[in-house]
Amino acid sequence: MKTLLVGEYRDAKLLGCNYDLIAFAEKIGGESAMFLVGSESELPPFDGPLYLADASEYGEYNPAVHRDLLVQVVEKEQPDVVVFSHSSYGWDLAPRLAYTMQAAQVSEVVDVVDSMPVVPVCNSKLRRNVKVHTAKAIYTLQAGAFTSSREPSGSPTVEKITTDSSATVIFEGYEEAEKGGVDLTKSEIIVSAGRGIGKPENVEMIAALAQVLKGEYGASRPVVDAEWVEHNRQVGTTGQVVSPKLYIACGISGAIQHLAGMKKAEFIIAINTDKDAPIAEVADILVVADLKQFVPALTEKLQAL
Amino acid sequence: MEMEFTREIYWNVGHGFLTLGPMYLLALTAIAILAYGFLLRINVYKQGQSLARTDNPGQRTVNTIKTALLQTSVTRVTIPGIFHGLFFWGFFLLFIGTTIIVIQADFTDLFFGVKFLRGTFYKLFSITLDLAGLVAVIMLGALFVRRYILRPEGLETKRDDALMHGLLFAILLTGFIIEGARMAVTEIDSPLAVWSPVGFVLAKSMSSLDEGGLRSLHRFTWWFHLLMAMGFIASLPFTKFRHILTTSLNKFFADHGPTGKLATLDLEDEEAESFGVVTLQDYTWKDIFDADACTLCKRCQDRCPAFTTEKPLSPMKIINQLGDMAFQGKMDAVVDTFTRDAIWACTTCRACQDICPASIEHVGKIIDVRRSLVLMEGEFPGEEVMSAMEDTEVNGNPLGFGYASRGEWAEELNVTVMADNSDVDILYFAGCFASFDARNTKVAKSFVTLCREAGIKVGILGREEKCCGEPMRKMGNEYLYQTLAMENIETLERYNVNTVVTTCPHCFNTLAKDYRDLGLDIEVISHAVYLDRLMKDDRLSIDGADVSCTYHDSCYLGRHNDIYDAPRQLIGAAGGTITEMEKNRDQAFCCSAGGGRILAEEKIGSRINVKRVRMAAATGAHHLLSNCPFCLTMFEDGVKGAELEDQLIPKDIAEILVENLKKKTDSAARGPFIHSK
Amino acid sequence: MKILVCIKQVPDMESKFKVNGEGNWYDSSDLAWRMNEYDEYGVEQAVQLKEQIGDADLTVLCIGPDRVKETMKKALAMGCDRGAHIADDASYGRDPMEIAGIIVEFAKDKGFDLIFTGMQSQDRASGQVGVLVAEMLALPCVTTIIDFAFVDGEIQVKRELEGGIKAKVKTTIPALITCQLGLNTPRYPTLPNIMKAKKKELLSIPAADLLSVDTRQETAAMYFPEKKGGGRVLEGENTDLADQLIQILKEKTSVLA
Repeated sequence: MKTLLVGEYRDAKLLGCNYDLIAFAEKIGGESAMFLVGSESELPPFDGPLYLADASEYGEYNPAVHRDLLVQVVEKEQPDVVVFSHSSYGWDLAPRLAYTMQAAQVSEVVDVVDSMPVVPVCNSKLRRNVKVHTAKAIYTLQAGAFTSSREPSGSPTVEKITTDSSATVIFEGYEEAEKGGVDLTKSEIIVSAGRGIGKPENVEMIAALAQVLKGEYGASRPVVDAEWVEHNRQVGTTGQVVSPKLYIACGISGAIQHLAGMKKAEFIIAINTDKDAPIAEVADILVVADLKQFVPALTEKLQAL
Repeated sequence: MEMEFTREIYWNVGHGFLTLGPMYLLALTAIAILAYGFLLRINVYKQGQSLARTDNPGQRTVNTIKTALLQTSVTRVTIPGIFHGLFFWGFFLLFIGTTIIVIQADFTDLFFGVKFLRGTFYKLFSITLDLAGLVAVIMLGALFVRRYILRPEGLETKRDDALMHGLLFAILLTGFIIEGARMAVTEIDSPLAVWSPVGFVLAKSMSSLDEGGLRSLHRFTWWFHLLMAMGFIASLPFTKFRHILTTSLNKFFADHGPTGKLATLDLEDEEAESFGVVTLQDYTWKDIFDADACTLCKRCQDRCPAFTTEKPLSPMKIINQLGDMAFQGKMDAVVDTFTRDAIWACTTCRACQDICPASIEHVGKIIDVRRSLVLMEGEFPGEEVMSAMEDTEVNGNPLGFGYASRGEWAEELNVTVMADNSDVDILYFAGCFASFDARNTKVAKSFVTLCREAGIKVGILGREEKCCGEPMRKMGNEYLYQTLAMENIETLERYNVNTVVTTCPHCFNTLAKDYRDLGLDIEVISHAVYLDRLMKDDRLSIDGADVSCTYHDSCYLGRHNDIYDAPRQLIGAAGGTITEMEKNRDQAFCCSAGGGRILAEEKIGSRINVKRVRMAAATGAHHLLSNCPFCLTMFEDGVKGAELEDQLIPKDIAEILVENLKKKTDSAARGPFIHSK
Repeated sequence: MKILVCIKQVPDMESKFKVNGEGNWYDSSDLAWRMNEYDEYGVEQAVQLKEQIGDADLTVLCIGPDRVKETMKKALAMGCDRGAHIADDASYGRDPMEIAGIIVEFAKDKGFDLIFTGMQSQDRASGQVGVLVAEMLALPCVTTIIDFAFVDGEIQVKRELEGGIKAKVKTTIPALITCQLGLNTPRYPTLPNIMKAKKKELLSIPAADLLSVDTRQETAAMYFPEKKGGGRVLEGENTDLADQLIQILKEKTSVLA
């Protein structure tokens, strides 16, 4: 099985998802090549051919041109599977390739079972195994689904690629996320509030628990969208990706974007009335309780210690 | 001897044309001005839409006369109600007295030589009027002190009030001066004098004046008094004096419909361009008339849970702003004058309407504006309310739970679901909170357990049950409410349900009253009343263990339905000793979740539920009992907010009963329970 | 200006799901249906654009069985002018390429200046259909939009990237946009608009008439994921649970040292 990995480069840096791609290739085995619109000065730790297009020339977001560059590599390498990250870059670019190649794309792969990619359905409540009918396939990988335990190493053999394809959109630059305040990526203990807290007043009890544990409080996306908590406390793919020693998820069902943001925590406790909540997948301990009663009770006991 | 006990009417001023002419001319002018003034006002009322409020005119007339003459509404609040009552009776008696004099002097005596103001009748007449006048003066004085010296908070005092106090004082005082001056000349040594004690005292104090001076004083004051009195009549439409007519008439036009039921909009009306109230002219003539009936007594405001927790809603202010807009002929959107924060703050607790001595209908006016905001603009007080509406459209409940799990709470008790078996005694309409909310499913289970013990076969609709639509309706979403209602009615009719019992007063109120407009005609009973009946029928044996508690009358069982005693009897039977809160029964203070506000966040001012919980805690009781899932939810929250978790435990009456249930083994043998009264 | 917004009817995610008899999709009984959340933002943005332009015609398209018409009525009530229902009882089994093909067959000769779709659907979440339609119609396409402006024939958008960063992109019409959550606040339909929607054109076209692409993939099996195991479940009274948890924290972590 030959794979072609599509790497990501943004704001003059390689993104962490590249490690996932490399780990996936290792798991699948077989030959692997990589494609990247990036820079010679930032090469991924990949042992194999790297087809590199210059980001400063072609732009970090330029989907039609990236597609054309990628198609060149596909034609040359003839991979069985082209692998993207299921990211804002990946899900934007992959279908363009799928159409050009007339190949099936399977999105957000979490596993491969009996040579079939496995993907989540309905907010991870279900899963399905996909049978692809085309000779070639395209996968996008769920963030964090194929992490390697060891840090990849290696240096690629770089081949530069070019194109004279024209852009269909104009990328005008980035706008930073709201700044200031807490940096959860540095916190060792995080207690997060989910939709289950019910109302903004209950953020206080989450913050209180965080405080008694000498940690910080965070939140899932719906809580931030409702403006109960500021954006820099959002844990998830569009917020902060955190890796604390202890993560307590209160009233968080476990949407995949949230899980991706906190899966790497060392010890995960989930407090939820729903035993089947997806968060239970990653939790070391699931406390089946109404957080509105349990959290204050826990906080009180901790204070008394 | 008999002839001595009388007096010469028109003494000193003359009884000829020179007196009667100007007098009647002034009277006619005053009445003409009065009529004209009210005609102008009627034109303003007419800006509004039509509304039929003249059915049962006989009953309406009786109500009006009783309320006006007996001053029943205004004396509900004893101070200063009784001041007003006594003042009114005093002034009214004086008015009757003057009328009697006119009847004799200008009619029976003039044309037929008949005089009845003599002898014992005259003595009684004289002393009654004197005392009436004295009481009136004293009460007016008391009211003056209250308004101008004590200055109760929230009482607005305007120039109008000064004019009213002044004019009334002038009329009363000049009346006595006239009497005093007359008596000083004619009765100072007469045994009749004692029958006019006040006049006698005044006469004595004037005795230093010579007769000529007294007569001049008398004549001048008589004409002045007449002028003041006619001025009073003429000023009626233009001052707060109009309430003599408008407030009384408002009783005539009062809403005789089921308490608290809103008008059902015809949403199929293809001609309707607009729903709810956008401009003043969308209100009815009665809405505008309500503003004229208002005397700014502020009793509504004093009892409004929103106003007393620093929200910008004052029911009184809404009424007055409405009146101002009407009289200024304003065409712009009323919501901009009322303000959105005020409109959304109402919990429809009806404390305002219930206490209003002028029969003003505050709540409907607010909901009318909400209807225009929701139905015409898709506007809600917050995104959380819009989400709740959308969740209800998708799953039939505002809590976001899947509809298919609505009956799951009942599985462990094996409650009959109508789809499986519709042969039941009662249909228990659980409602959204009892079906899905962790705290409230306990109440549902308690209720079913009690029914079982009483040998009653209970059925539920389970997943076929939808939200009754009440919070949506009160938030102004008449369309969603009617959609839900029609579906529920269809389901109930399909199962041929005869009797529905609910543990939620909002469901109870809606199914019992609102759904009738849409065709549902079955018996609907609240659980408090139903359990009370079961107990009285000896089907429930409660072994009361002594429990210290206080009881909260929910707005929708209490003020909306006058159900105050049944729950208290149940609690008593369960061993509860109720220490009543100061604000209980019809004076109970809302928990904050009515008016659809269970769906919304409370963002302004202080927390209403915390305020009520503190009132409960102040009784020293250990349990706070209620009869409504919204109240229970608010109190659980409020107890935490007030940090009283160990001191005060909120519970539903069904829970306290089930905890003290002594099991009966022969309920089934008792035979069927007759459900209709 | 002609605008197209593509929507999908999905089950409410709070529903209790079951696998169907064939074992290859979720069972459609006991489900409450609603508009795909991402598509709500698309409809709202399309309606806002129509209001901005004035002289614009907005079509809403939806593929599925008869029940999807209820969801289409909501789109009409939000402000779409007409509905194109592609009647297809088997839509749940079609892959993104087929779905895109159906849409393209419908749209290709209609000269739409702008096409809005949701970034992905809440059930299948493959996130491909919008981009595939753009590729098939050779339209410029930007995905994951959380900000949109139409200025002088130019589309100025912001993409939402990981970490909350936004990417500013612009392009010209005709184009296709896929919408991310939070792009705007979808309006609640007003009653007059709900009434008007009942009279708006809602044509049903059999999917067979528009099938232009073969299937490339299928679901071999659908099932509930196995619980990972290893995670302990604690239940009981809050005070006992708190004690237990504190004990575990002491044993398994260093946070209470």
